[in-house]
This record gives sequence, C-alpha cells and structure tokens, in this order.
Amino acid sequence: MTVKTPAGAPVKDAAVVLEPTSGTAPPARQRAAIEQRGREFIPHLTIVQKGTAIDFPNHDPFKHHVYSFSPAKVFEIKLYAGKPANPVIFDKTGAVALGCNIHDWMEAHVLVVDTPWFAKTGANGVARIERVPAGAYRLRLWHPRQKAPAADSSVDLGGAMRKLDLTLDVTPRVIVPRPPVDAGGY
Amino acid sequence: MTLFRTLERRIAVVFVGLLVFVMLLMLLIVARSGEAIIMAESQRQLAAGARNFGKLVDRDQRQLELAASVLAGDFGFREAIATQDRATVHSVLRNHGYRIGARVMMVLSLNGEVIADTQRPDQAPRPFPFGELLQAAQQAGRSGGVALMADGLLYQIVIVPILAPVRVAWVVMGFPVEDAWAAEFARVSGLDVSVVATGESIHASSLLPELRGALEKTPWTMLDEQPRPLTLDDRNYHAVALPFGPQARVLLLHSLEPSEAVFRELERILEIIAASGIALFVVGSFGLARRIAGPVNTLAKAAQRIEAGDYSHAVAVTAPDEIGQLAASFESMRTGIAARELKIIRLAYEDTLTGLPNRTRLAEHLAGLDPTATAMVAVLDLDRFAPINDALGHPVGDRLLQQVGERLASLLPPQGMLARLWGDEFAFVVAGAADESARDFAARLLAALREPIEVDGQKLDVSGSLGIAFRPADGRDMDTLLQRAELAMYAAKRRQCGYALAEDIGAGPPPEQLSMIGEMREALERREFVLYYQPKLALASNRVVGAEALLRWQHPQRGLVPPGRFIPFAEQTGFIREITPWLLGEVAAQAAAWRERGIWVVVSANLSARDLLNPDLVGLMRDLLDVHQLPPSALCLEITESALMEDPTLALAHLAELAALGLKLSIDDYGAGQASLSYLKSLPVHELKIDQSFIGSLATSPKDAAIVRSTIALGHALGLTVVAEGIEGEADLDWLAAAGCDIGQGYFISRPMAAPAFADWILAQAVTCND
Repeated sequence: MTVKTPAGAPVKDAAVVLEPTSGTAPPARQRAAIEQRGREFIPHLTIVQKGTAIDFPNHDPFKHHVYSFSPAKVFEIKLYAGKPANPVIFDKTGAVALGCNIHDWMEAHVLVVDTPWFAKTGANGVARIERVPAGAYRLRLWHPRQKAPAADSSVDLGGAMRKLDLTLDVTPRVIVPRPPVDAGGY
Repeated sequence: MTLFRTLERRIAVVFVGLLVFVMLLMLLIVARSGEAIIMAESQRQLAAGARNFGKLVDRDQRQLELAASVLAGDFGFREAIATQDRATVHSVLRNHGYRIGARVMMVLSLNGEVIADTQRPDQAPRPFPFGELLQAAQQAGRSGGVALMADGLLYQIVIVPILAPVRVAWVVMGFPVEDAWAAEFARVSGLDVSVVATGESIHASSLLPELRGALEKTPWTMLDEQPRPLTLDDRNYHAVALPFGPQARVLLLHSLEPSEAVFRELERILEIIAASGIALFVVGSFGLARRIAGPVNTLAKAAQRIEAGDYSHAVAVTAPDEIGQLAASFESMRTGIAARELKIIRLAYEDTLTGLPNRTRLAEHLAGLDPTATAMVAVLDLDRFAPINDALGHPVGDRLLQQVGERLASLLPPQGMLARLWGDEFAFVVAGAADESARDFAARLLAALREPIEVDGQKLDVSGSLGIAFRPADGRDMDTLLQRAELAMYAAKRRQCGYALAEDIGAGPPPEQLSMIGEMREALERREFVLYYQPKLALASNRVVGAEALLRWQHPQRGLVPPGRFIPFAEQTGFIREITPWLLGEVAAQAAAWRERGIWVVVSANLSARDLLNPDLVGLMRDLLDVHQLPPSALCLEITESALMEDPTLALAHLAELAALGLKLSIDDYGAGQASLSYLKSLPVHELKIDQSFIGSLATSPKDAAIVRSTIALGHALGLTVVAEGIEGEADLDWLAAAGCDIGQGYFISRPMAAPAFADWILAQAVTCND
C-alpha cells in the first residue's frame, strides 16, 4: 500500500490497519518497546494490538518522564532511568499521544487496534501487511497529524498480493525548538 | 501733545519708548520661540511616544504570551485540564490564572468552543466570541490582542495551546487594561496614556481623576495619528490617537505644562529684567534729560527775563559742554543787549546836548503822574538866543544851552522834571504845583537867569520868557499843556513881562483847531483847498505884471475858512509841508495854463519857514519847471522876513540855490521882522514887499510914510523891485506911484480871485489899457 498526500507526496508514519469484518482477530501475544534515545521517542509511531505491553527503555544518560493524557491510555512513568520494571499494557483501542514532561518536544504516538494486521508507511509512503488470511476486511487509514479522519474502506483479500494506493492529507510536523545536546549535559 | 512739550519729556519718552519697544519685541520673540519650541518638542515627543507605544504593546504581548505558554506547559495544569473534570478545571484555571495575574481564564476546545470560563463557571460550552484571535492562534500557534469582553472591560488577551504533547486545547488568558497598565505605559513613555473603547468611556488612564473627567467631556474622537492641541481643565496638551485592537483606541497626551512652565519662568525673568531696565531707563533718561534740559530751561528763563526787559541777572549756566558755550554766548548777548538798550533809552529819552530828559521822556513822566492830581507844565524860551548863536557861533551857543540847562536843573523842585524840548526851549513838569507856588517858581527861575553866564571866558547876559499851564485847568495831555504853555510863553515874550500863565492869556485855540489837522488832511484829499490870485500892478505902466497865489479853504460846512484861522496852525504843526508841494504844483500849472492863453504874469507863491528849510524844495521846483516847460522867471517865491530869521544860514543857502535856478525871490512883510540890513544885503532876492501895516496908515502917519519912502529908496539902492501891498484907496496908490514904488497890490486894485475870474479880469484890464 502506498500512502500519498493529495499533492502526491509520500506520507511517512501513516498507520494502515485491516480489521476483519467477521469473526474476531486472534489475541495479541506480543510485546513492544518505545525507546528513549537522544531525547526522542523511537519510533515516532507504534501500532499495537489491544493488550500489548510496551516497554519504555531509557537509553539516555538522564531521566525521562513519560506520560499520556489520551483517553485510550492515561499513564505516567515518573522520572526513571534504564528500563522501568513494568511495561505499560495498552488494553483499549484508540490513539495515544505520548510526551515527556521534561523534554517538551519529545512526542510519540501509539495506535491501539483490535487486529494483528497493520503496518506503518516508511519514508517512501509504502506499508506492507503480510500473511493476511483471505476474507473481507475493513481498511482503516490513520496518521497522528491527519487533517481529517479518513473514511474506512472495505477490501476483500484473496491469496494473492494486493497493492493499494491510498490518499491522506496531513499537516507537517511542528518542530518544537529544543536546546542543543551538549548544552550542560542534558 | 503735552507729552512732548518739554525737551526733558521728549528725550525721556523717546529713550524709554525705544527701550519698551525693544523689550516688547524681545518678549514677543521669546514668547513666539517658546511656543514654537514647545510645539516642536511636543510633536517630537508624541511621535516618539507613538512609535514606542506599538513596540511596548508588542513586547507586553510577547511577555504575556510567554508567561501564558510557561503556565500552559505546567504539567499539573495540563494534567488537570486533561482530567476534563469541570470543578478541577475551574479550580486550576483560577489558581494558575492568579499566578500570572490573569483576570480571565478560559479553556477552548480545539474546535473553538469555550469549555471552561472562570468568569462564568456554570455556563454550557459556547463558541469563543473572538474568532479572529483564535484563527490567528491556529495559524501561528498562539495569538494575542485586545478585546472588549462581556463584562464591559477591556482585556489584553493571549491564546496559547495546551500541548500534551500534541495540542489538546487552547487556554485563553485575559489581563484587564486598567489604570495601572496605563500608568506603567505613562511611566515608560513619559506621556499620559488613556485607553478608550470606541464610543465608550475611558477604560484606563494615567491621568488624574479630574483630568480624566475633563477628557470624558472632550471631543477626542476627532483625534488621529497627527498631533493636535487639546485642552483639559485649562491645561494644554498635544494628543494623538492610535488604534488599540479593533474596538479601542489609545490616546497619548503630551502635557505642555512643564515646557510652558519653563518658558513662563523665563518670560517672568525677562519681564522682571525688562521692567527693571525700563525703570532704570526712566530714572536715567529723566536724569540725563534734566541735565540737558535743566540748563536749557535756565536759558529759556533768562531769555524770558531779557524779553521782559530785565537785564540784571547773569546767566548762571557753567556746564563745560555745548550748552555751556550757548550759555556763554547768551551771557555776552545779554550784556550787549543791556548796553545797547541803555544807549537806546538814552537816545530816546535824553537830549544829547545837555544830558537832560527830552520831550518824550517828559511826556512819559507826566503820563506817569497821578492823573487826578494837579501838575504844572512850564515852557521857557531864551530871549535873543539866535543873535548870540549867529554872532558867537554854534559851539558857543551849544555850551550856553548846556550851562543854562545846569542852572535850571539846580532850581528844579524835588518832584519835578526838566527837559530840553528843542533849540533854546526848555520845559518843566512839576507835580502838585498850584498857582502861587508856580509864580514863586517862575520868579526864582527868571532871577537865576539874570545872573550872567560865562562861556569860554565871555560873560553872556541871557534872559528867558516863561509860559505856564496847569493840569487839569488848561488841558490833560502833554501836547495840549505844552501848546498852552508855549502860547503863554509867546505872550510873555511879546509883552516882555517875564512869564505868563496860560489862563491869563485867554482861551486856548478855538475848539475847531483841535481837530484841524485831520480836517486839513481830508481837505487836501477832497480838494477843498483852492487858490485865489491877487493881481500885482506895475504902477508906472499901470499893467498887471504878476499875481500872488493865496490859499483858501472852501469848507463844506463852515464855508470859506479865513487863511489866518488855519495857515498859522498848519505852519505850527508842520502840516504846511504837505500843503506846499500841492500849492506849488497848482501855481506852476496855472502859470503854464495862463501862458498858453497869452497871459504873461509872474505868479507868486508864499513859502513858510519850514518850506524854506526843507532840503527837498530846490529839487521840487526844478521838477515843476521841467514838467510845465516854464521859464524860471515865470514863478516867484515870497518868503517872510521872520521865516528867513528862523535859521538864517540855511535859509540863505537855499535861497542861493533857488536863485541859481533862475526863480524870482521876494521878501515878504518887510519891516515887521528883525532882519538886519547887512543880512538883507547878502540875500539873492529880486523883490522887497513892504509890510502892509505901513501902507494902511500912509495917509495918517507921517512916520510910516517916511519909513515907506526910505524903504523904497533902500530897495532901489539894493537893486530890488519894491512892492507895496494892502493898498486900499486911490490916494495911497497915487502916493506910492509918486514915491517911485514899482508895484502895487491891494483891494483897491483887486481882491483875490479864483483863477478863471482872474483870467477874465486881466483880459478885461488889457482891453481897458488898450483904450
């Protein structure tokens, strides 16, 4: 699947999610991690299946304070270093915006979905979802800075590979100014 | 103008006036410059204020935004907002708003709904009323501005996002625009700041309450970004109005008062300087003017004294300057005038020969006496002065007069005055003298004169005749009194009685004589004088050879005035000098006219002593002969013996000139005067007329007949034609013809006739003769 803006620019970090229109998806057995490295959340966008536990390992030599006020998951890991003991379990679907209370510019997004079939686009706007059983699906497209929610679409998948071209308009990322790295050892 | 009447004032007024003018000009320039400087300064201040105001508002806005951003970034704030719990949200809004002094705190949803409002906590979500600000915030991430809120207050509003970390809501913070805000701006800008909502009252102001009240009443809506004058409560400002958000304006007022106060102080100092300068100038220029004008005034006063005839005060100005020089000239002028006036007075009032007062002085003296008191006027004439003068010469005569003057002066009573009138005639005026004392005085005077007077070693016997008149009995004025006294004196001289009183010689001249001069002058103009001609008959040939012109006055009221009534008076008063030229002209014209008609007679005219002594007489006669083309022998001038004796020397000289002209000359009334034969011998005359007093008594007085007979012989012996006048009878005529008298004249021959009658008569005679 290739996601482009209406102007034709590839859209990075767009989430493409396939939800089966009948039956339920298998429960998640996965763990994910969002690292804090170089005063950034890596990755910027994480798509997880409902019930996934996400670790927030801190690789920076200083503490971070991860929080979310998003209704899908409100949590807070107060000033910590290294890997917190307990991961955070995302047990509700929805979008969660993560921030660091110490570093205003640090921003990450977690999209909690109720399906194991999802992918996010790379810098070329291409996302690939593999090993999807044949059947009818609802295709959802989402981006943290989408201008408007995209309408869901239905796709029927057979055994063959399908290639889809999708369009989503996003606002550019607001660059929040940050102090230089070497300034005082932050 | 009285202001410029004196030099002193003029100098002072001009000086002070110039200074006042200069000072006023200076004050005016200072005032004008002050206004211009205040105006320029004010405009500069306002322009700077207006520039700064925008910057200040921007900075203020940024600071508020920054403060609001910091607040919105507070984790607790964000956490509380994120809870979405109404009570908590309001509480945290209040709490955090209070932290940064925001009066109004609101939370907006991302789509612009007010979801929390500290002012109206219970209200349901509603759209944010200031959409433009929100739109600006959505575009720029934050925004700020000025807005009038529902509570009627004006707020500075900032809208900043709540980031968690993505934008989850907007927080609106409102800071009231209040007096403190305006005061802060006023402090920074140095201008008075007032914030007004359009059409509304004042929201904030740095002005004092009373001025704020005044501003509310002032039509400030006309203000814009151009500085304009504005008066609040009698204080002057310049003001600009700047937009302040969509609904408000900011008025920046620059008070002129401090600058005005500086200039007022300057003007006050200048006024004090000007006033003191003018005061000093007034004192100084009056002082200077007095120093200049004082001596000038002294000179003017001295000039007035001199004008009034007072030369006794020396001019007391000793300044070393030009005025001093003027004063010195003035002083020498004063002494010069004084000396000259003294000399003039002496000439006017003094007889130079004797040093006695003259007639004028005497007249003034009499006029100065009490007019109601009596006074005596006496005239003394020396007897036989003329012969002494002739015999011994004028210098001796003069010295004699001086001696007589001294002697008379020694007899003068204390209250009297002695004057020399003319010639040998002296006069006295004695106040208060009465009849008896006058007689005593006259007797003493005449006695004193009988003492011989020694002149140049010769003892001379002199005597005088005195005439006395009294005021007011004989007249009041000097002329009348002198005339009466003179008449009395002549009477005394005739009677040889020493002195006579005017009252004793009878009445004075008839009243008509007093107005006679005026009448005679009119008569001459009106041609009332006429000439009558009496024939002169040659006794041998019985032919008329001449005619004597006789003056008559045909008076319109009194008829024909006898010659004896006016001719002596005309001679006395000198009026004869006006009549004679007319008479001579008439005679010459008549002679010429008769010659035209073939009447060849020598026409005679009478000359008085004054006429004879008149130096113009010879010239007049020459002109008449010339004008009328007459041979000189056609005219004859008759001069009485007494007229010759008034000034024999001068008379002789004039007679010689007349004779040289070729005129015939005749001695009239011969025998009645005192002419000596030696004098007679020297005269260049052609004719001798025997006085008629001898002719009238020829028949009765053998002595007179003898005189006439010898006079005829004498005349013939001297080569003269002898004329007898006053022939009134045929016997006398015959006697005279027999005695050898050449020519006869008289009533018996013919009365005097008017010229036409004379012509007729002579032509008739000629016919008779031819018979």
